[in-house]
Amino acid sequence: MSNFLSKINILKLGKRGENIIFTIFFLIYIAWCASSPDMNIESLKGVLTIGISVGIIYGLVALGISLIYTGLDVVNFSHGEFFMIGAFMGLTTFHLLDVDWIYDVFPESYGWVVYVVCLFIAFVSMGLFGVLIERVFLRPLTKKGGGYTVAGMGIIICGFGLSVVLINFAYIIWNPVAKPFPVDLGLPLNIANITLPMTYLWMLVVGLSISAGLWFFLNKTKMGLGIRAVAFSKEVSNLVGINVPLYISIIFGIACAIAGIGGTLVGPTYQVVVFMGYIILMKAFAAAVVGGFGNLPGAIVGGFTVGLFETASSFYISGSHKDLYAFLLMIIVLMIKPTGFFGVQVKMKA
Amino acid sequence: MLKIENLISGYGTVQILNGANMKVDAQSVVALLGGNGTGKSTILKAVSGLIRTWKGTIEFDGEPIQNLAPHLIVQRGLVQVTQGKDVFPAMTVMENLRLGGFVLKSKQKLNDNLEKVFEYFPRLNERKTQLAATLSGGELQMLCIGRGLMSNPKMIMLDEPSAALAPQIVIDIFKNINRIRKDGLTVLVVEQNVRMALLLSDYGYVIKDGVINVEGEAKKLINDKSVEESYLGGTRANV
Repeated sequence: MSNFLSKINILKLGKRGENIIFTIFFLIYIAWCASSPDMNIESLKGVLTIGISVGIIYGLVALGISLIYTGLDVVNFSHGEFFMIGAFMGLTTFHLLDVDWIYDVFPESYGWVVYVVCLFIAFVSMGLFGVLIERVFLRPLTKKGGGYTVAGMGIIICGFGLSVVLINFAYIIWNPVAKPFPVDLGLPLNIANITLPMTYLWMLVVGLSISAGLWFFLNKTKMGLGIRAVAFSKEVSNLVGINVPLYISIIFGIACAIAGIGGTLVGPTYQVVVFMGYIILMKAFAAAVVGGFGNLPGAIVGGFTVGLFETASSFYISGSHKDLYAFLLMIIVLMIKPTGFFGVQVKMKA
Repeated sequence: MLKIENLISGYGTVQILNGANMKVDAQSVVALLGGNGTGKSTILKAVSGLIRTWKGTIEFDGEPIQNLAPHLIVQRGLVQVTQGKDVFPAMTVMENLRLGGFVLKSKQKLNDNLEKVFEYFPRLNERKTQLAATLSGGELQMLCIGRGLMSNPKMIMLDEPSAALAPQIVIDIFKNINRIRKDGLTVLVVEQNVRMALLLSDYGYVIKDGVINVEGEAKKLINDKSVEESYLGGTRANV
């Protein structure tokens, strides 16, 4: 089965042509940004900080989308909602932990101890929630034929429906008012004259450790080996004695858990709203496409690229169309190099 | 060891097997022969749980295993080795072998089995850090059989081990299958290469249109005219 994105190669450039056009595009873009009247070292620092920390969030969600795509051969269009519910789980945990005795036990480090617990709860609860959703809603659909394949169009449509259901589910529980996530992580850090708010630092550190942890898990543990096997071929995995249905649930659960932790990471910087999942899904989808759909390191790199591109463009080109740039970049990448930066051209099947 | 009775199965709504009966005794080699599209591989798929058994029974070690989840069948010690190229090409040879021992609980056992497989196929030891995609056809087949042996099976089912291989390599593979059998495993080999398979095995079944057409001792089947007739419309299969 070939990557579905490789079929829309419009310009039909060779590898070299792709690289040349990319470089030209990149240079024009740099020149455009540099010619902006706002261009100075201070604003550049800000752009880099915001771009990278937003990028890692896009990367985390894109990681989940890519993981589900490689494992289940399905694009999960309800992934943004797991991100949103994860943020709410973190926020709820935060409010539940707002009690006196924890202040007494950790007088100095109250803020981050609570935040770590929030992240952990968001991770675990969204993992379990993902497994539940997969078992209850997606699994029965595979029995009607098609299975977990691109051909199983029902599952993709189900993703859109699930997204609406989950938004309304969150609407009932947490109501549609945007809520602040007032976690106290201490004063901004000053590194090399860059003032870095602690929430951004947390995004970056936790995001990178999650991606590194996932890499370690997939490549160095027995369960990770099984996941890679299932992602490649379900039939052969069956024959070597892997419990494939269980592993499909695990893959879905891990992807949702990562999205949930992403939501809790974003919460303190922005706000927690019921509708935050939709736009993040689209941006993360763009990130996954830019990095190469189905490629896990590509998802993180794509996230950084989209984050930086978006932030720089809204700073230097025009701030009024902030949400446009991610999709502009996606269209450009699709036109020049449909497989993305690290795209797998073909998923080899025997 | 393995007993198939009145097996009816197929894909979707298409019935392929129309009541096949087979028996594989412990520590023997049994050949299942037949032309293209006669249902050889379908029998293996039904036995290893990849497709549902519609009717009939499959018994392994005296217990019914029909419609059991595939990984449970592997845990009971019945392993299918698919046609040559079904390895994980993006993983190293070592990782492929470790996947073969996925059902093993202890690390010690895994390492013991690894050593055993490397003893059978020293070639794999030389190439253990290479990606499986870089192996040659014969080496891929060795890797597949090695992966099957990793889980300490009682019985191994080979689906066309000689497919698309050079004659010299085919002889190598068959020698190894013979060694595996001498070490106490039961082997069911599905083959198109009739002569070679019958020379190796004790008993043979010839399948046609989803039912067993001819069966008998391998020595007799080699010279049996009806085997040739039911197989490829009577063309003589050469080694």
